[in-house]
Amino acid sequence: MAELAQIRNFSVIAHVDHGKTTLSDRLLETTGTVPLREMRDQLLDSMELEREHGITIKARAVRMAWREHELNLIDTPGHVDFTYEVSRSLAACEGAVLLVDASQGIEAQTLANAYLAVEQGLEVIPVINKIDLPNIDIDVVREELRTTLGFRDDEILLVSGKTGAGVNELLDAIVERVPPPVGDVAAPLRALIFDSHYDAYKGVVAHVRVVDGSLASHDRIRLMATERESELLELGVFVPDPRPIARLETGETGYVATGLKAVADCRVGDTLTLAARPARAPLPGYRPAKPMVFAGFYPSNAQDYPLLKDAMEKLRLNDASLIYEPETSQALGFGFRAGFLGLLHLEIVQERLEREYDLDLIATSPSVEYRVITQKGAEVPIDNPALLPDPGTIVEIREPWMKVTVIVPTTHVGPVMELAQTKRASLVDMSYVDPTRAMLKYDMALSEVIVDFYDQLKSSSRGYASLDYEFAEYRPADLVRLDILVSGTLVDALSIITHRERAQQSGRVLVNKLRGLIPKQMFDVRIQAAIGGKVIASETVKAKRKDVLAKCYGGDITRKRKLLEKQKEGKKRMKMVGSVEIPQEAFLAVLRIGDDT
Amino acid sequence: MIRGIGLYVHIPFCASRCPYCDFATAPATTALRDRYMETLSSEIVREGELLGHPRVRTLFFGGGTPSLLEPEEIARLGDALRSAFVLRPREVTLEANPATLDRARLEAWLALGLTRLSLGAQSFDPAGLRALGRTHQPDDSLSAFEVARAAGLDVNLDLIFGWPGQTIAGWERDLGIATALGPDHLSCYPLELRLDPDGSIPNWPGGGWPVLERWRRAASAAQPDDAGIARMYRVAERSLGHAGYRHYEIANWARPGKRSLHNLGYWRDRDWLGVGAGAHTHLAGARSANPVDLRAYISRIESGSPRAVDDDSDPPSEAAMLALRLDSGLDLGRYAARFGDLAAARVRGALREVEQVHLVQLKGRSARLTARGRLLASEVFVRLLP
Repeated sequence: MAELAQIRNFSVIAHVDHGKTTLSDRLLETTGTVPLREMRDQLLDSMELEREHGITIKARAVRMAWREHELNLIDTPGHVDFTYEVSRSLAACEGAVLLVDASQGIEAQTLANAYLAVEQGLEVIPVINKIDLPNIDIDVVREELRTTLGFRDDEILLVSGKTGAGVNELLDAIVERVPPPVGDVAAPLRALIFDSHYDAYKGVVAHVRVVDGSLASHDRIRLMATERESELLELGVFVPDPRPIARLETGETGYVATGLKAVADCRVGDTLTLAARPARAPLPGYRPAKPMVFAGFYPSNAQDYPLLKDAMEKLRLNDASLIYEPETSQALGFGFRAGFLGLLHLEIVQERLEREYDLDLIATSPSVEYRVITQKGAEVPIDNPALLPDPGTIVEIREPWMKVTVIVPTTHVGPVMELAQTKRASLVDMSYVDPTRAMLKYDMALSEVIVDFYDQLKSSSRGYASLDYEFAEYRPADLVRLDILVSGTLVDALSIITHRERAQQSGRVLVNKLRGLIPKQMFDVRIQAAIGGKVIASETVKAKRKDVLAKCYGGDITRKRKLLEKQKEGKKRMKMVGSVEIPQEAFLAVLRIGDDT
Repeated sequence: MIRGIGLYVHIPFCASRCPYCDFATAPATTALRDRYMETLSSEIVREGELLGHPRVRTLFFGGGTPSLLEPEEIARLGDALRSAFVLRPREVTLEANPATLDRARLEAWLALGLTRLSLGAQSFDPAGLRALGRTHQPDDSLSAFEVARAAGLDVNLDLIFGWPGQTIAGWERDLGIATALGPDHLSCYPLELRLDPDGSIPNWPGGGWPVLERWRRAASAAQPDDAGIARMYRVAERSLGHAGYRHYEIANWARPGKRSLHNLGYWRDRDWLGVGAGAHTHLAGARSANPVDLRAYISRIESGSPRAVDDDSDPPSEAAMLALRLDSGLDLGRYAARFGDLAAARVRGALREVEQVHLVQLKGRSARLTARGRLLASEVFVRLLP
C-alpha cells in the first residue's frame, strides 16, 4: 500500500499503430512487472478481435513499481467511437503520455484526445516514439507538438518501444511530472468506474479509480447512477494478471468483481460507493451510452432467430453501449434494431455475432437517428427509415451533424476537399500542424460520415489522412424517404432516408442493382424506386422463359429429382416479397453498396 | 409376382464420345467389351430367374450405341433374353447412330423381333452436327431412315435444338426435313449441358472431365438464351402439330397410335427392369441402379450383390411429376386411390399455386401442364417435392 504522494496514475494517448502496445509492454518489462521471459507480445490486448482491428476496445489498468513509486497505467480505447470511454479513462488519471510515431506525426484523433487530456487538467508528457526507424525527421514532429499543443522542445521525450531507448527517462518523467492524486482519505468512498467487463466466472468486473475514501474486500457496494447494490466478490489489481488484495485506498486503481450480472448495471462513468456509508454526490461526468448509428440485424436463416436473440443477450452482458430491441421486417422477418456508438462499434458487434456465435447475418444499411417535427408539434426520434411518418404529417426533419477534424498531408488537401464537397460538408477552418500537414475542420452530417466516408478519405489521401469527429447539433435538412417496391410491394428493409437532391441518383442505382440480383420469376417483376408514392426509377426483370429438364426416361428420374431438390434448397433461402422470390444475396449486396447509392 | 415388365438393355459402347452426353458410355474398342457382353447375358438370365420369368411387354435397347453391336453379339443377347423372359413384346426399339446401321446388323436385330428404330439424327444441318461434336453426316440419317423403312420398322427421329449458332430459321429447316421424311415419332430436346464436375463419366481414357467441361462451357456460352430456346420449342410445337404429330410428352411427338410404349411405361410409373451398366430399375415401387463404371458393374454381377437402391426416392412426388409430363396429365382421383387423400391434397395445393401463373390447368380431377407449363415444368415439379 502506497502513500498518496507515491502514486502516479497515467494513460497513454496514441493513434492506432503508433506503438502504444509495444511501449506499454516495454514499461511492464522495464519496471520488472513482467519478467522478460514471460513477455507475451501485446499483453494488454485481450480479445482476438481487438488484435485484428489493431485497437484496444476495453481499457484495463496495470500496476507497476518504479523507484519507490506505484505507477498505474490506465489503458484507453483507441477509436473515435469510444470518445466517452476515453474521457473516463483520462478522468481516472493525473497524467497522460502523448505518444506520436516519429514517422507518421500527430493524427487527428490523437490530437482530439490530447486536447481532452489538457481540458481535464492532466499533465501531458509528449513522447516521440519509434526513433529507431530510418529516414525519420524528428524535428518535424517536434514542430507539430509545438504548433498544435504548445509544448517546448525540452519537454519532449524520445523513445523507442522496440529497442527500449528512452524508456527509463520516460518512467522518471512520469514520476517527476505527473502530480500525485489528491483525495479525501476520510470521506465516504467515491470510486470512478472507467471500464467494466463481463467475466464468465466473476460476473461484472469494474475497473475503478478510488477518488475518496477506501474500499475493502468485504464491503457491500452501491452504484450511484444505476442505484444497484451488491456484495462485492473480489478486489484486486492487475500486475498485469489479476491479483486479489484486501483494500483499495484513495488514489489507487484496481478492479472490483461486483457480483452483478450485466455490464449495463455497472456503467462506465458511474460512481461506486459503499452501501453502508454512501457518498453524498457522485463524481461528475457520468453520461449514459448514447448510440449514434443504428442498423437492423436479421438472421439469414429465419430459424436462427432464437440463436441471434441469445447471442445478442450474451453480447449485451459485456457491452453496455450496445442497445437493441426486437424488430420485424416484412422482407427479412424477425430481427433486432440495434444502436451503436459508431460504425466501428457496429462492425465489431456484427463480426462477433458472426464469428463467436457462428451466425449468418443480414445487417441493414446503417442509419442515424433523425428527429422528425410533426404538425402536432411533437419531436419524434426515428432510427429506422421504414418508420418515417407520412410526409404530409412532417413539418421538418432534422439530422445529427458532427464536427469533423481531418489531418492530411498538404499534397492531398485537394482530393480530400473534393470528397468533403460530395458529402455535403462545410469547411469551418483550415490550419497547419506542420509545414507538410494541414488540419481541416468540417461540419458534416453524420449520415454522410457513416456511409463510407472513412474509406474514401483513406483512398483519396493514399492512406495518410486521419479522422476525428464529435457530435455537434441537430440541423434541419431536406430529407426524403426513398422506398424500393418489387412488383408493387414495398421492401421495408431497403428503404433509406436520403437528401432530396440525391434521391434520384440513389434510386436509379438501387433499382439497377436489384435488376441484376433478382432472378427471373414466372412473371415480369417490376422494380421501382419511389419517394412518397411517386416513382422516380423503374426496371423490369423479364419473366423466366424456360426451366425444364426435357429429357426424362428411366435412368433420369433419380437424377432429375436430385436437381429439383437442389433447386428447392435454393428457393428456401429466398425471401418472399409479395409473390416475388428474392435471394438473400440480393439483400446483402444491395445493403453493402453504401458507396454508389 | 411381376406380371409384365418393360425391359431396358444398356449397351454402353460408342465409336466416339459426344461431348454433351451424360449417359453411361464406353469406347467401342474397350478391352472389356466381351466381358461386358457376357456379364450382361448373365445378369439377364439371373434377373429372369429372380423375377419368375415374367413377360416382357416392351423391350428397349439403349446406349451408348447398341446399333454398333456385331451380329454374333446380338444373337447371344437374344439367346439370353429368350431364356430369361417370356419374350412376346408389343414393341422392340433400338437406338441407332445413323452411321452404324448396316444390313447385316439389321437382320440380326430383326431376328430378335425389332419393331422400331430410334435414330439419333440430331440435326440435318452439317453445322449443327459439327457444333454438337457428332461424327455422322446429314446423308447418313437419310439413308438409315430409308433402310429402316425398307425393313418395315417404325422410326423415331431424335433432334436437338438450341445448339451454338442455331437460328430459328435453321431449326425450322431441320423440322421441315424431318416432317418431310415422315417418321412415326419425333423426340426434340433442347441442348442441356450439365456443368457440374459430378458429370464426370468413367470408362473413357484421355482428357476426362476438364476437357469436357471446357467444351461445355464454351458451347453453353454460345447457345441461344432461354428466351431463344423457348421460341424454338414453340416453333416445334406449332410445326409438328401442323404436320399431324401429337405432342404427348414434354419432349415427344407421335403420329396416332405410334407413341413409344416403352417410354410410356416410365411416365406412367409402371414396372421396368434395366440391365447393363448404369441402367436403372423400378420394380414394386422401389428404384435401384447399376454402377456406371464398367468394372464396377461387372464385379457387382459377378459377386451377385444387389443393385444400389435409391433410398431418397419419393414415389408420390415422382409419380405426380412423371404423369404431368404427359399430355394426359395427372388424374388426381386415381392418384388419391394410389397414394392416399393427404398426398393428393398436397399435390392439388401445390398445383393451385402454379395454376395462378398459368403453368397448370386444373379441371375437376385432372391436372395438365399448359404450353407455358411445359417450358417451366421444373417450377411446377419443384413444388411437388416433399
